[in-house]
Amino acid sequence: MHLEAILEALQETFPAEKIEGQSLPIGETFVALSPDCIQPAAQVLVERFDLRHLSAITGQDTGSEIELLYHFWDGQGLTLRTSLQREEPHIATVVNLIPGAAFYEREVSEMLGVTFDGCPDRRSLLLPDDWNEEPPMINDRVTE
Amino acid sequence: MLKEPLSFLLTVEGERVVDSVLRLGYVHRGLERLCQERNYVQNLHLVERVCGICSHIHTTTYCQGVEALLGLEVPLRALYLRALLCELERIHSHLLWLGVLAENAGFTTIFMYAWRDREIALDIMDELSGGRVAHAVNILGGVRIDVGEASVASSLMRLDELERRIEVFLGVIQHECTFRARTRNVGHLSAEQVRRYCVVGPVARASGADVDVRRDAPYAAYDRLRFKVITSNEGDVWARALVRTLEAVESVHLCRQLLTELPDGPLSVRAPRRVPPGEVVSRGEAPRGELVYYIRSDGSDKPARIKIRTPTLATLITLPDQLRGVNTADVPVVLAGVDLCISCADR
Repeated sequence: MHLEAILEALQETFPAEKIEGQSLPIGETFVALSPDCIQPAAQVLVERFDLRHLSAITGQDTGSEIELLYHFWDGQGLTLRTSLQREEPHIATVVNLIPGAAFYEREVSEMLGVTFDGCPDRRSLLLPDDWNEEPPMINDRVTE
Repeated sequence: MLKEPLSFLLTVEGERVVDSVLRLGYVHRGLERLCQERNYVQNLHLVERVCGICSHIHTTTYCQGVEALLGLEVPLRALYLRALLCELERIHSHLLWLGVLAENAGFTTIFMYAWRDREIALDIMDELSGGRVAHAVNILGGVRIDVGEASVASSLMRLDELERRIEVFLGVIQHECTFRARTRNVGHLSAEQVRRYCVVGPVARASGADVDVRRDAPYAAYDRLRFKVITSNEGDVWARALVRTLEAVESVHLCRQLLTELPDGPLSVRAPRRVPPGEVVSRGEAPRGELVYYIRSDGSDKPARIKIRTPTLATLITLPDQLRGVNTADVPVVLAGVDLCISCADR
């Protein structure tokens, strides 16, 4: 993975964002972006760097916001991090670029109530069709 | 056919499948949410039960993530023993799968022989850990078992017998005409499809993808071991059978290295109860492919988040493509070819 070149390309594409690679275990680099930058960033990774293996999309309720992590990997890991507001969280889909993201978006959608705009398949993945309670991964406790 | 619940709605025209809709979630247990309500030691036992077949790689990937947050250096002897159980687990998983594929293809004899010979791997794991399938070998900071000279000697003898039996299955896959007829050009995935869908493991490698976490991002003792990553360019169920069986042979060689080169030393280091705040992404190569754990700690003794992406979830997504145009009689073979573990996919 040409990490330096990727970070430079992301900075060029998003001049208003502060692109910084945060090194985390194990062999991972996290980059924080605004939500509307995630789909174009995925496009840069796929089309300019051929980095198209998305291992997973993690969704988590940090208490103050819904955080999404897009874990890319080619032997080294690059995770794009973004935060959505808790009220009606939504973000553009990446399924048009990475069809393998479909199950991951469906799971985050049902577990955290996130809407992936433009995603063609919004069916539940794991929860029953008649689930009418709160998204199960929305926490009650706030982490300090 | 499968011993786990999964729903497929097939649309057929005559004997051909034209479309399929997959429904998961029948064994969804909410394990990720449960993990947030238990401490790191309790979660070790919880994540071991995500899957019955690949329980050890789950605890290995989980432990190495938490150990990275704790800044622990796991002793080398423990890393070797972790890798040993990983490879024994890979052998038993691939033989289990071979039997399931054979049964779905109507080849009950190979199902019986594969599950009989799989007992050798289970017996080794039973002798080493006290458990055939749930081994509870890993603890935070290392392993709880040790292997003496007598166990090394008996395991090596059993591995020789196992290798002889796996070679028989290799011969069936390569030369037996009815097995080839049932599996060749069935459930084909191209290299491009595998990349688009982010497929992992033997399904990806059987379509030419040269990826393996053990080699690409070594963990446990894999940076000290010599092994081949097996690939094929055929992309069909037959290629997946060949790749998995050759991988089982490689795993026997790896087990021999691990047993004969086992370094001396302690088995574990002490792991504190509270984990400092932080995040980690930990990966392992499960028998079905890349397993990913994301763990976030908030400084307490309970994780703020554990995300588990199992390899089956990354291969299931290809099934509608694989099933399109397939004869209904071949549907069980295509489904078996992916090596589904619904327990893993649903969590």
